Amino acid sequence: MNFIEKYLAKAAGLKSVAVGQDIRCKVDLVAAHDVTGPMAIQQFEHIGVDHVFDPKKVVMVIDHIFPAATVQARAMHWILKDFAQQYGITLYDKGQGVIHQVIAENHRLQPGQILVGADSHTCTAGAYGVIAIPIGSTELAAAMATGTIDIEVPEVVEVYMTGELQTHICGKDIVLSLIQKFGVDGLTDKAVIFNGPGLTALSLDDRMTICNMGIEMGAMIACFGQETAATGVAQTIALPLEQIVALTACPYSPANVRPVAEVSGVEVTQVVVGSCTNGRLSDMEKVVRILKQYKVHPAVTLLVIPASKTILAVMERAGWCKILRDAGAVITNPGCGPCFGAHQGLGTERDVILSTTNRNFPGRMGHRSAQVYLASPATAVETAVCGKITVPGTLSLEGGA
Amino acid sequence: MNTIKGHVWFFGDNVDTDQILPGYAMAEDFSGLGQYAMAGSKIPDFAKKVKLGDIIVAGKNFGCGSSREQAPVALKAAGVSLIIAESFARIFRRNAINIGLPVLMGEMQEAVSQGEQIEVDLERGIVITAEREINASALSANVLAIIAAGGLINQVRQELGIENTIRP
Repeated sequence: MNFIEKYLAKAAGLKSVAVGQDIRCKVDLVAAHDVTGPMAIQQFEHIGVDHVFDPKKVVMVIDHIFPAATVQARAMHWILKDFAQQYGITLYDKGQGVIHQVIAENHRLQPGQILVGADSHTCTAGAYGVIAIPIGSTELAAAMATGTIDIEVPEVVEVYMTGELQTHICGKDIVLSLIQKFGVDGLTDKAVIFNGPGLTALSLDDRMTICNMGIEMGAMIACFGQETAATGVAQTIALPLEQIVALTACPYSPANVRPVAEVSGVEVTQVVVGSCTNGRLSDMEKVVRILKQYKVHPAVTLLVIPASKTILAVMERAGWCKILRDAGAVITNPGCGPCFGAHQGLGTERDVILSTTNRNFPGRMGHRSAQVYLASPATAVETAVCGKITVPGTLSLEGGA
Repeated sequence: MNTIKGHVWFFGDNVDTDQILPGYAMAEDFSGLGQYAMAGSKIPDFAKKVKLGDIIVAGKNFGCGSSREQAPVALKAAGVSLIIAESFARIFRRNAINIGLPVLMGEMQEAVSQGEQIEVDLERGIVITAEREINASALSANVLAIIAAGGLINQVRQELGIENTIRP
């Protein structure tokens, strides 16, 4: 068995499992947010039990539409607040950050734990070796009632990383290279694991970015393993990290990936740095390093959205917020921001947006014809300064990069 | 209940959840979701045109993207009775089944046309057009059991020994 199968067998109370087998696993954590949670709560109430399986293992986070952009959005907050009070579960309210970041910061994630979340980017926790499975609201309701999840054991695809990334290249470029390879459905119903000596130099932030976008290839699970190769996997893909260049997903698909160099010069109107994909401290540090010496282009709105309040607090203490603001960036409250098209920075058909978020489907961030390019924070910040898509490393820094 | 008859609506590959139900509609009260069905797609007025019982026929990777269950809920509320696609994204497929909206896998785009009335035998996975019968993949026993129970919630109620099955 590979390590995914070992973890699943343990959670199912079985000695062994095989690909395709239907199993029932115990879950260690169940999570939802203000968009998926209310529907899960309604379904939970339809089940008709008077308690959740374990209140300490149920978490809800208000992150998608906070502060409430509409009256109905606020009504959804209230559904979560009332449920948390009635059932004694943990609620992160008042802009603590994006669900995946908040969970990582507060819940001691451990390899082999089973996390189910009503958000497709739940797979982010795979950076910690967690089996993190994205589900819908009804399945979440069932998991809250029973403490279990029914799944079929997935086929496992191993990405075996060697070498080291070049300067200015990061986790986002790695995962975009994988989406280019596998396409938007190449890993549907499968688990993707990341192994190999290349892991040594990959930060936790980079690992979270990579797992986060596992769903963009259709994966059921995205999970980091060891520096050594896996046994018992269906397929292994070699990924020499030193060969990866700065990449961007062009409109209108995360799989429409091209080297940034091939689209450099495309004028942009807005740049977004943040989200559960790239709103962490090392992402912010890349932006600050450039904006210490350069200003945001006059024709560009640069939105900076820290993934959590903790990250924002560190940025403030380090003096980064002042640097960002003085350079012309707008810092919003931690949360999902405009990523999923509800508020805080949507585009019209006139907008060309370069964003560090995870999706660029038609209408994802506003108008159906608004163009969204997905790229790394390093590409984003130089693009914001130049007003056009720019290969990272183009701007020279006094005192070196 | 395992035979469905309806008119066909055609969609292509990779119809994502932002097309099925745009983010701006996500804060809508659940009872009003039907009016936004496919509002972000190439047929933005789908919800006005679709008739009760109609069938969506699509290409690869239908429902990719977000985990929002509001997407299949909106389609069901708008009147859609079945989705047949070459393939589905995992979360959408499970969400649809869990709320009792059947999904079938099959390559139908060459075999049926927009607006055509077809009949589908879910148990045997057979699509019947005016001219012929086409095989799609039949639903698994597990999936048929959830649909027969009227969705996952009813199935969980049965497992937990709670009486009085409710409508999903």
